[in-house]
Amino acid sequence: MQLSLQGVIPIPLREKVNAYQSGMWDAGQVFNKGEYIFIQAPSGTGKTTLVHILYGLRTDYEGQVKWGNIPLSGVNKETLANLRTHGISVIFQDMRLFPELTAWENIEAKRRLTNSVTAGQAGEWLDRLGLVDKKNSLGSTLSYGEQQRVAIVRALLQPFEWLLMDEPFSHLDHANTTKAIQLISEVVKQHNAGMILADLDENTFFPYTQTIVL
Amino acid sequence: MSDKTQDNILRKLLLRTQHRSRLWAALAALCVGTTLLLLSVMIWWNFRELLYGKGQNDTLGSTFLVIGKRVTEQNMGVPGATIFSPGDVDSLRLAPQVQEVGVITSNHFPVYAMMGGKLPLSTDLPLECVPDNFIDKMPPDWKWQPGSRDLPIIVSSQFLDIYNYVFAPSQGLPQLSQSSVKSIALNLKVGEGDKAETFSAHVVGFSDRIGSVLAPQSFIDYGNKTHGKPGATEAPSQLIIKAKDPSDTKFGDYLQRHDYATNTENLRWSKMRAIVEVVVTATGILALLLMGIGTLVFVLFIELTIARAQQSLTLLLQLGYGPRYLSKFMSRRFLPMVLGTAIVSMIITIVGQYVASGAVQAQGLVLPTLPGWPVWAALVVSTAILGALVSGSISGAIKKQ
Repeated sequence: MQLSLQGVIPIPLREKVNAYQSGMWDAGQVFNKGEYIFIQAPSGTGKTTLVHILYGLRTDYEGQVKWGNIPLSGVNKETLANLRTHGISVIFQDMRLFPELTAWENIEAKRRLTNSVTAGQAGEWLDRLGLVDKKNSLGSTLSYGEQQRVAIVRALLQPFEWLLMDEPFSHLDHANTTKAIQLISEVVKQHNAGMILADLDENTFFPYTQTIVL
Repeated sequence: MSDKTQDNILRKLLLRTQHRSRLWAALAALCVGTTLLLLSVMIWWNFRELLYGKGQNDTLGSTFLVIGKRVTEQNMGVPGATIFSPGDVDSLRLAPQVQEVGVITSNHFPVYAMMGGKLPLSTDLPLECVPDNFIDKMPPDWKWQPGSRDLPIIVSSQFLDIYNYVFAPSQGLPQLSQSSVKSIALNLKVGEGDKAETFSAHVVGFSDRIGSVLAPQSFIDYGNKTHGKPGATEAPSQLIIKAKDPSDTKFGDYLQRHDYATNTENLRWSKMRAIVEVVVTATGILALLLMGIGTLVFVLFIELTIARAQQSLTLLLQLGYGPRYLSKFMSRRFLPMVLGTAIVSMIITIVGQYVASGAVQAQGLVLPTLPGWPVWAALVVSTAILGALVSGSISGAIKKQ
């Protein structure tokens, strides 16, 4: 599934974008399946806004975003739900776990939507990220780092062609970041998927095929 | 795949803010509304069955009135002034509320009745006949053929009352029961002079509807033809009508406009019936209002539940849950409640019908022991509407997220 953006400018950022040359805003971009895209974005340039626009959470923009042949503007909610369970997955910057559910229930809430990953596999991934003893802890009682690791595992529990990541390791130490990168790389390869990672600073987390400064 | 875990998770996320007491209050309001609706339909239907049904309760539904042209100072003594023409009869058939019109044919020949035995009564006797379908209690042996000496007659109950409570005590005569009257033979001398014939009349029934003595149509026709006075008109001076609701002002206006006279007591009973109908209709409207309020309370409760779970709902949608899937989940939770209230309401209505059936049986009336089809139809329609409203409000509230 190809991702194409044509002249996209978030309305709240319109004036700001006009003041500088962006590699993404108001430009034409086409990303092919399997590409590893790194979006380098200093604070306030619309990194999270971009991820939200690509995931269909925001509609306050000009231009057009298309996943394959599906334009996001005006897409109906059922098509969007289908896209989010089979085409694109996301790791939010703010994690977005259910605070009233345990870590394992947060995992199950996503896993049981498609059942493409077994419970055993999901449990193993949690173990790999050092969350074996946190499975029954409520989301509200997990640290940011723990929440981020649960959010990473949750994003891998479905079939996808693109993985969107918004500062996915911002709360992790070096050791946990390495484990998470390893896990993500394996699953992305397994799906022959592409990824778009948005972060503040340049990094070498993944072998990017394109780097775009926002 | 077992969806139990997923259902439990969704229940935790979407229904955890549900207040049980509010849910029970909403369900109770819904149940009361539905029950009242079904009961009012049941009462309305039972009322119709008693009044207009084809069963044994037929006479309750219509009022039979004997009408004649009013005798006034102007038409008094004018020959034929109070006779109904065929045009009058046709016009009456088309009058408001009139269901059937029957001609009352009276005898135009002399009839002299003599009672033998211990009751030395003798009197001139006017006879009439009406079409059989206007007789309130049809005796099984209600027929007469030319040549037969035995004549069945039906006497107004009022006649027996007058005899038993007025005439017999004042004359020192024995009072008579209906069955004893039926066993007495009455000699009737019909006609005059050499042509006179004698018949043995037996009272075969009593009528509460017609205030005279009835003989079979064939006998009156024979008597009028054989012994009738020359020149006597065969046109009727009285008609009997079956009216659905004689208290209808249009019917009253019709009678007044044509100067027809009738028994106003019957009109009063009809007014009572009309009042009962109004009360039943008002109960139905009240029930609809209550059901509407019950539905509103229940739907608002659902919308409040969804609004309270808005944050979880939004995140579920972001994770890829479809609005249709979540609507189905919520409907699976709330629609069985709607069904449950409908079942409880129907059970109460079935019990109500059973009790009503037993109660009217004591009055000699018949009602089915199970509710009639309109009650079942009301149940199906109200449950379907309620289900659609609940589903609609759920999917509407979820789509708003």
